[in-house]
Amino acid sequence: MRSNIILGRGDLEVIEMLNKYLIDKIVGIRNVGDGKLIIDVKPNNLVDVVNVVTDKLGGIFVTIVGNDARSIDNSFHNIYVFSLDSLKTYLLIRVKLDPESPKINSITHIVKGADWGEREVRDLLGINMVNHPDPRRLILPDGWPEGINPLKKEFAHSIRPELNNSECYVPLRSDDVVALPYGPYHPLLHEPEYFELHIKGETVVGVEYRGFHVHRGIEKLGESRLTYNQVPFVAERICGICGFVHNVCYCQAIENAAKIEVPERAHYIRSIILEIERLHSHLLWLGVACHILGFDTGFMHAWRIREPIMNLAEALTGNRKNYGLNLVGGVRRDINKDSSARISKLLKDIKHEYDRFISSLTAVKEVIRRLEGSGLLPKPEAISYGVVGPVARGSALKRDVRVDHPYAAYKDVSFKVPTYSECDNMSRLMVRVDEVYESISIIEQLIDRLPGGSILAENAEVPEYREGFSGIEAPRGEDFHYVLTGRFSKVYRWRVRAPTYNNIPALKVMLHEVPLSDAPLTIASIDPCFSCTDRLLVFDVDKGKKFKVSYKALASGWKP
Amino acid sequence: MSRLSWIKTALEVGVVTKKYPFERVEVPDGFRGLPIFDSGKCIGCTACANVCTPDAIKVVNDFTNGFRRIEYRLGKCIFCGRCADVCPVSAITITKEFELAYTGDVINAIEIKFIKCVQCGQYYTVSRHLKHVSSKLNDEALEGVDICPDCRRRSNINSLIHASGVFR
Repeated sequence: MRSNIILGRGDLEVIEMLNKYLIDKIVGIRNVGDGKLIIDVKPNNLVDVVNVVTDKLGGIFVTIVGNDARSIDNSFHNIYVFSLDSLKTYLLIRVKLDPESPKINSITHIVKGADWGEREVRDLLGINMVNHPDPRRLILPDGWPEGINPLKKEFAHSIRPELNNSECYVPLRSDDVVALPYGPYHPLLHEPEYFELHIKGETVVGVEYRGFHVHRGIEKLGESRLTYNQVPFVAERICGICGFVHNVCYCQAIENAAKIEVPERAHYIRSIILEIERLHSHLLWLGVACHILGFDTGFMHAWRIREPIMNLAEALTGNRKNYGLNLVGGVRRDINKDSSARISKLLKDIKHEYDRFISSLTAVKEVIRRLEGSGLLPKPEAISYGVVGPVARGSALKRDVRVDHPYAAYKDVSFKVPTYSECDNMSRLMVRVDEVYESISIIEQLIDRLPGGSILAENAEVPEYREGFSGIEAPRGEDFHYVLTGRFSKVYRWRVRAPTYNNIPALKVMLHEVPLSDAPLTIASIDPCFSCTDRLLVFDVDKGKKFKVSYKALASGWKP
Repeated sequence: MSRLSWIKTALEVGVVTKKYPFERVEVPDGFRGLPIFDSGKCIGCTACANVCTPDAIKVVNDFTNGFRRIEYRLGKCIFCGRCADVCPVSAITITKEFELAYTGDVINAIEIKFIKCVQCGQYYTVSRHLKHVSSKLNDEALEGVDICPDCRRRSNINSLIHASGVFR
């Protein structure tokens, strides 16, 4: 059993810096694990604290966790999560808000990435964001009654309120642009999501995004109906491609909260499957990128190479997707000697096939020319939006959760974090190309060193009202889960922040001044996973909507 | 490398797609497909229903007619195999069957008889579960397993009162 206070790695350094800059502003400080700090500050000091964290400590914004804690300490909590990459620490800043009329100053003018997080908290918990630049809804649909906030505890998960016919979403655009709808259903978008591209001639000058069409109320479901060991099976259904990362991330967050010691072998097995998932996900993306560029030969070959990886996952876990491998405290299936040999052999074959694929792909000049110089995301913007994964690394930002906040078995393996500084679509493609090689090397190292022992912690008890969190490097970037354990084997609050959530807002920058023909590829270059991003609420937009807006009217600048 | 290498690759690799469903596709051992319930083995303990995430396994207790019904709905199942993990008598087998599309919902149900309390005559638990638990207990612990929890509580209190001598 670990003790409550663990100081390691950057912790002392962080505390020293907090002492130096913020000694008079911090009300409380707590350490919930190695490199995991939670500080309490007064609501009126929040803006100053965030300024110091971003300027002096190099904090990059991760997410906001809103929590209805009125039944615990009679207040709403807002937790601002920052990653201090160089100090290998997650810093959580908690403010406690008034239970009757909660309000807090917006920080969007300091970190642009906080825009969505603040609007989400406002929609779902009714917390008023003072001075927020965008008054529109983010998550709740048009017609959702004002004043009903689904993540408040008095709102039962099975309630579906009557929708009215109010219209809350008004696109912001100037008069001299043409608005071109892209989605919600479009051959090049594989999930329902709506982009409104503002174009002048052939050039995109702005973009409006309206998503969250496929909310499924997963957080609410996890908090109200499911027990600890049932949530992982729902968590992996958040995403259809990289579901295992949510599964592992949730389990690690609970293990962090309950201080459960997971057996080494389970850590290794989790890491192996995570890397197998990265392999198939990156190959899938490479295929889709080729497809969007009209190069279907590349698409077919990428997916052909991917297929044996899916079969391997099926043999190891029992399914091609939705592996169902994790429980709180470890994994359900072991990897035996035969499987290890099969993995090693398969990796050799894939490496050979992949080499040939990449060298053939780079020989197609049309593909390369389309990728180079399009969809620019400069480094300072990347930092301000807090972008993650290959999007960050393609903008020369060396961020990788596996290195910055090591988890599972990643502390035992050596690998490179590829970064490219051209900041364009080509950079993001090259990052993924290189990562496939790194993943193959990581799996080889893990198989070589696979330790013996059990795979599931025995008697894993979860105490009441403990908090924990975990970050994971998903194929699309950093995935973040926060949990506060509750009573009767249920989570009190479960917050999921999928990687695409932080990457989509940066499209505003990436799509600026690109030719219209490059827009689909640029949107695809963040490898968007919309189902991951939309995970909170069940709603039916059509229900109760009294009028329809035609496609034509929408395209010609329709206003409610 | 020239772009002709794509043609070379295609010729080398050949056809990789299969003519499914005309050609059978084998799934590996350990594949999680349709779970099958052995009604002869089931003791009606409801452990499977407790772990079932999508509520595909449901328990209906019919105290008037005296049986417990355990329903499995194929349409809700996510094939995680947790039910087979926790079954104490291995009555659930995960098969490799994956071609499971049906037009309606498929419900498999097992009905297990309740047993009556020897004192009050009310149904209180399923007989097979009681037998399974009894086989693991020693003689001392077995005392009073054939009466329902309510009657047991009452008789315990009565014997306590008797022993304390308050109402002697």
